[in-house]
Amino acid sequence: MTTSPPSTYMDNMDEQAFITALIAGDDRAFCEIITRFQHTMLSIARAICGDTFADDVVQDAWVAIHNNIGKFEQRSSLKTWVITIVSNEAKARLRRESRRISLEELDGEAPGSYLDGNNFKSDGHWQSATPMWNCESPEELLEEKQLQHCINKTLNLLPPAQKAAFMLRDIEQQSFEEICEILQVSAANVRVLVHRARLTLMQVIDRYQETGSC
Amino acid sequence: MLKFKLLTCQQVASLASDYLDNCVDGKLNFKIRVHLMMCANCRRFVKHLKLTKEVAPKFINEQQPVNAEAILQRIKQKKL
Repeated sequence: MTTSPPSTYMDNMDEQAFITALIAGDDRAFCEIITRFQHTMLSIARAICGDTFADDVVQDAWVAIHNNIGKFEQRSSLKTWVITIVSNEAKARLRRESRRISLEELDGEAPGSYLDGNNFKSDGHWQSATPMWNCESPEELLEEKQLQHCINKTLNLLPPAQKAAFMLRDIEQQSFEEICEILQVSAANVRVLVHRARLTLMQVIDRYQETGSC
Repeated sequence: MLKFKLLTCQQVASLASDYLDNCVDGKLNFKIRVHLMMCANCRRFVKHLKLTKEVAPKFINEQQPVNAEAILQRIKQKKL
């Protein structure tokens, strides 16, 4: 089995030419959007309808996208269109299975996290100094391959709603309003989910700076 | 003399992402900035959170490749 080539096809043409190729049924362009959005789509599906149905939902969403790509009118960005389709598929699946999964219930505060009350004195100030980092520039941090492994491993261990909210906000750069619509949670809850995910990833960097491992 | 109650570190830590995402109103933004001027621990905390927000997505973008061709084949089979 071969994996898809690196994302060069999309990079080598402007967005309009790429979308034209996609609408015309170009398989290579379609592979490119699968590569680009598969992880985000799985995260959204897991957050909305849980692990059991997520793979099926994403597969159905890809079939819907493939069937309808010729009708894509570009009234929204390709990313928004794709994300909306998987979100709608996941919500429909959830209704069919007659299961309500509360995102807030799924994603509680992890004990020992930065916001844990034990980290603060009774007057609300830090119990101890926040850790120093040896490496404080993005460029230096990005050179750490082991840290990349730690971050990816931790991302996959995040509760589904936190992971989806983080991916939609910090990777896909969606607005909070769009994320509320996609995940069907309040704006306040989306912000809490994103904050918790970032804090967990920040703790990974803390640990890495201290010990050199995950 | 300050005419408002100073925020605690715990409050600043809870609001740090909202602050970085510009999701706090002007008054709260000012209170956070006053706290950050006075508290080295919270300055470091917010700086590290900002770095995390910047760096983590770049690491994640390089995660394991997707077998797009196999997925496309499955889509086509499902349509038959």
